[in-house]
Amino acid sequence: MARVVKEDKREKRWSSDLVLDLYSNLLAEIWELVSALIGEAILAFLVTLAVRKVGEKYPFLNSLSVSEEGISLDEMREECRIVSPVDIHRGFQSLINQLSHLFSVLAEGVINKELFPKVFPKVKEAERIISPK
Amino acid sequence: MRLVFKNLNILRSIINAISTSVEMKEIVESAGNNLPNLFDFSSFGVFWKEDLLFFLYEEESCPPAFTQEVVNNMLKVFSTLGGESVDADRVVLQTEKRKLRPRQMTMDSTAALKSYLTLPLALEGEILGCISLNSDQPNAFDAQDLQFFSVIGYQMAATLRHFQRFSSVKNMAIYDTLTGLHNRRYFEERLEVEAQKSLHSNTPLSLVMVDIDFFKKVNDTFGHTEGDQVLCKVSSLLKTSVRKKDIVARYGGEEFILILPEARLDETFVMAERIRRLVEETLFEVGKAQVNLTLSLGISNFPSHRVKSKEELMEMADQALYDAKRGGRNRVCIFTGKSTRKTVPA
Repeated sequence: MARVVKEDKREKRWSSDLVLDLYSNLLAEIWELVSALIGEAILAFLVTLAVRKVGEKYPFLNSLSVSEEGISLDEMREECRIVSPVDIHRGFQSLINQLSHLFSVLAEGVINKELFPKVFPKVKEAERIISPK
Repeated sequence: MRLVFKNLNILRSIINAISTSVEMKEIVESAGNNLPNLFDFSSFGVFWKEDLLFFLYEEESCPPAFTQEVVNNMLKVFSTLGGESVDADRVVLQTEKRKLRPRQMTMDSTAALKSYLTLPLALEGEILGCISLNSDQPNAFDAQDLQFFSVIGYQMAATLRHFQRFSSVKNMAIYDTLTGLHNRRYFEERLEVEAQKSLHSNTPLSLVMVDIDFFKKVNDTFGHTEGDQVLCKVSSLLKTSVRKKDIVARYGGEEFILILPEARLDETFVMAERIRRLVEETLFEVGKAQVNLTLSLGISNFPSHRVKSKEELMEMADQALYDAKRGGRNRVCIFTGKSTRKTVPA
């Protein structure tokens, strides 16, 4: 019995890291694409705004570090040790939704049209990781 | 490829024009004049949060309903980004109409906002305002438009931030931090200018030196914080008692000085006497108490006092103030050489 619990924990850790890695890559891609369209200063402002909004529901997101250099998840990894992979996924999903909302407020479909084809498959992949069946 | 180079050159000249602008209106015009070379649009808007200013550079056939739609949309976007709603009634709208389109493409009266790009003027995590490109055509803008527009927005934000910093440094240099009146340094600069103007053109110029009577007692009895409140209140009374072109400055401690350009001696006396009475009749709240205060005022004037320099004008006003103090305070004295004419309070 004890052995099973241990394995579950390892499994949980493993998938949390995987979800974080996946979203880390996804945010890097979003950053690269959108910063080329609207510039780093505006994007950093928007990401900070989105984190502030979504961070109320998913506090682990508040440890995202955002600057004009980009987004870093380094501090977040520590924080996420006690967060379930499902919550990590939901949190990032909300963050990306909030960002999409801000992008459409600013430029209607111009940014999201470029972004959607890249983001959608990654979010699907994250869903597959957290619920393999 | 040639088109890209052409557009980059236009972009470069827009950025150059923005960065060399010296005021907000100039930024908008520099950008507005060049934007039609890069984009097809109906209006270009700039909202500047600090002064609640809204500049619109728009096609001359833009109907009022379209203008209003643009303003509302931009304020809505700003509220979403800035987290604060803006009262549209308080916003000052300045519109510049230009011919942006050929005659056959003018907008009709039912034209509506069909597409837009709005970007925050954001720097170091702070939102200074918004800019927007608006069109009555659907899908008028694409990713490349957004790229170019964001570069313009970034340069505008940087230039506006520069204005902000420059204006706060300028403010520190010319205003007294406690009372918000001009400081002594600014007073001296302005006196130089006004004295030269008067001496050369032979137009009147008056100086009024003002001192709060027994102010030390206020500080000793109620403390310096309350004393500061009294200084602020007196400053505000002085400021509201003069004309727009007059300069009110804190000369030091509880002393103030007024420069009244083009004011004859009799007019100056009336104004000084009005100030004296106003302060005398005002109840000052000091801590939990209410106290009465009075002022002593000394006047000098060109050409009545035949001065030859600003220094002489200052010395005479100072002498008149001294006479007002020596004569019992709460009075206005005009410099008259060895003895001064004075008014005795009622």
